[in-house]
Amino acid sequence: MIAFAKRNILLYFRDKTTVFFSLLAVIILIGLYVLFLGEMTAKGLPDFPAKKAVLTTWFIAGILAVTSMTTTLASFGILVEDRANKKYMDFYSSPISRSRLVGGYIISALVVGFIMCMITLLASNVFLFVSGEGVLSVGKMIAAGGVIILSVLASGSMVLLLVSFFKTSNAFAAASTVIGTLLGFLAGIYIPIGGLPDYIQAVVKLFPVSHSAALFRQLIMEAPLLEAFSTAPVTMKQAFEIDMGMLYDINGKKTTLLFSIMYLIGTTLLFFGLSLLVMRRKSK
Amino acid sequence: MTNIIEVNGLSKSFGNITAVNDISFYVEKGALFSFLGTNGAGKSTTISILLTLLQQDSGFVIVNGYTVGKNDRAIRREIGVVFQESLLDPLLTVKENLAIRGSFYGMTRQERSIAINRVIDIVDIHSISNRPYGKLSGGQRRRVDIARALIHKPNILILDEPTTGLDPQSRKSIWATILQLQKETGMTVFLTTHYIEEAANSDYVVVMKDGSIVAKGTPEQLKNDYSTDLLTISTEWADELRSLLMLDGLDFDEEKSLFHIRLSHTTDAIPILAKFTSFISSFEVKKSSLDDVFIAINGKVVNQDDSIR
Repeated sequence: MIAFAKRNILLYFRDKTTVFFSLLAVIILIGLYVLFLGEMTAKGLPDFPAKKAVLTTWFIAGILAVTSMTTTLASFGILVEDRANKKYMDFYSSPISRSRLVGGYIISALVVGFIMCMITLLASNVFLFVSGEGVLSVGKMIAAGGVIILSVLASGSMVLLLVSFFKTSNAFAAASTVIGTLLGFLAGIYIPIGGLPDYIQAVVKLFPVSHSAALFRQLIMEAPLLEAFSTAPVTMKQAFEIDMGMLYDINGKKTTLLFSIMYLIGTTLLFFGLSLLVMRRKSK
Repeated sequence: MTNIIEVNGLSKSFGNITAVNDISFYVEKGALFSFLGTNGAGKSTTISILLTLLQQDSGFVIVNGYTVGKNDRAIRREIGVVFQESLLDPLLTVKENLAIRGSFYGMTRQERSIAINRVIDIVDIHSISNRPYGKLSGGQRRRVDIARALIHKPNILILDEPTTGLDPQSRKSIWATILQLQKETGMTVFLTTHYIEEAANSDYVVVMKDGSIVAKGTPEQLKNDYSTDLLTISTEWADELRSLLMLDGLDFDEEKSLFHIRLSHTTDAIPILAKFTSFISSFEVKKSSLDDVFIAINGKVVNQDDSIR
């Protein structure tokens, strides 16, 4: 299983186009942000101290959440491609069990997602340093690593369920593009959740990636936020946190760190379970 | 000789299409066995069942004592397979590909490295072992595919149209490797092909058409049963020769100034040539080939004949 996982990881990193396309949604996101989204978001908010740092870190958190999904998605693309290229004939005519093969795909997607998110995190820190903002401490980086693991697990489980329905690489590539685009909206990254209509807000709150985004935001934005709201009333800070999707208001109750963590773990288990059910049914 | 593969009453349909219709045959241990047929004859379906990739509707298949459908894991260890398509990873090197496939058989890292060196030796791919599979030529790829099939020392090597799409030189060299391998290791080689000349090397041939076996036997038997040696005489005295041949009760066809006389053996041509020397402008004796068998079988539907075997 480990050797097979290694194969998938190698295949991901050796194919430069796969790597590029798995980051395409992120690259587009950065492009849009630089072009106008950043300014738009800033205009929509009142002026407060350290505004730029707050928005930059808010945006970085969103990028991390998107990366965790798009890279695991691209890595699972290898499964779809193997199926389309009939490579399963080679695999299934060997004595390795199907569950080990699936395990290999899952492990590789998680590892790829983790590596790519860590690279994104490091690159973000370099960006923060270069642009003169406060860099993330080692402790924060480690905590972010933990959130990355949770986020990659949740994304991986959703993607696993998704790929079990795709038979051709083309269909999967098309779906990946759509997902990459939607992702920014569904996790409240293009536009802060506070600026979205109620029914979309409901979808955002349900979407697991929003919760990993919330965790990333709480972690990464902590220092700039402290500076920004040092003199402001607590209620104002809370309203801002809800508007920016650092925590979510569900029926008048505010979500906590623990809630988001549990939500990610819960959806991970749910989607892995569903994927197994689908695969069982299909292999019969 | 014991049978390493036994197929009995095997049938498989896909919806309304019967891909394999009640076929039975066996493969002797250590034999070079050829499975011949045009595209769509049912060869690939049969192979897929042998490889435990597909479940049959009825009948049974036994591979070295193991039953398909019951002991699939064990059967997968018995068989090494070279698929029609290249199924290794183009972006990985030959060695990386072989190591990953080796892991499918539960080999440890050390066992894998021994196995990789062994198969690289066998198919002679030292010079390309660190190159990406995708950068290799068709012939080189086939060699690597064979190496992959041999990685776990299988007792049976299945080659599904191994030389399709290769240039003649590569085909020849791939064949030399396969034949040498079979000779040296006593491995059973199960080949499917639509190149008739490749089947001519084999110990036993089964010919499939439209899902059924239409002929089986050694290449010699098939030639005897489905085609004849031929003496062709070109003459300027057609009328005289015709009546003389008829008088001798010979079996022949006439085409312009050419007479095709069917022989049971090429040496039968000698007395005929001696007798009619004065009427012969030129002549040719052609030994029957599997080509003729294949054309004979596919040209007209031949009913399965128990006397063949």
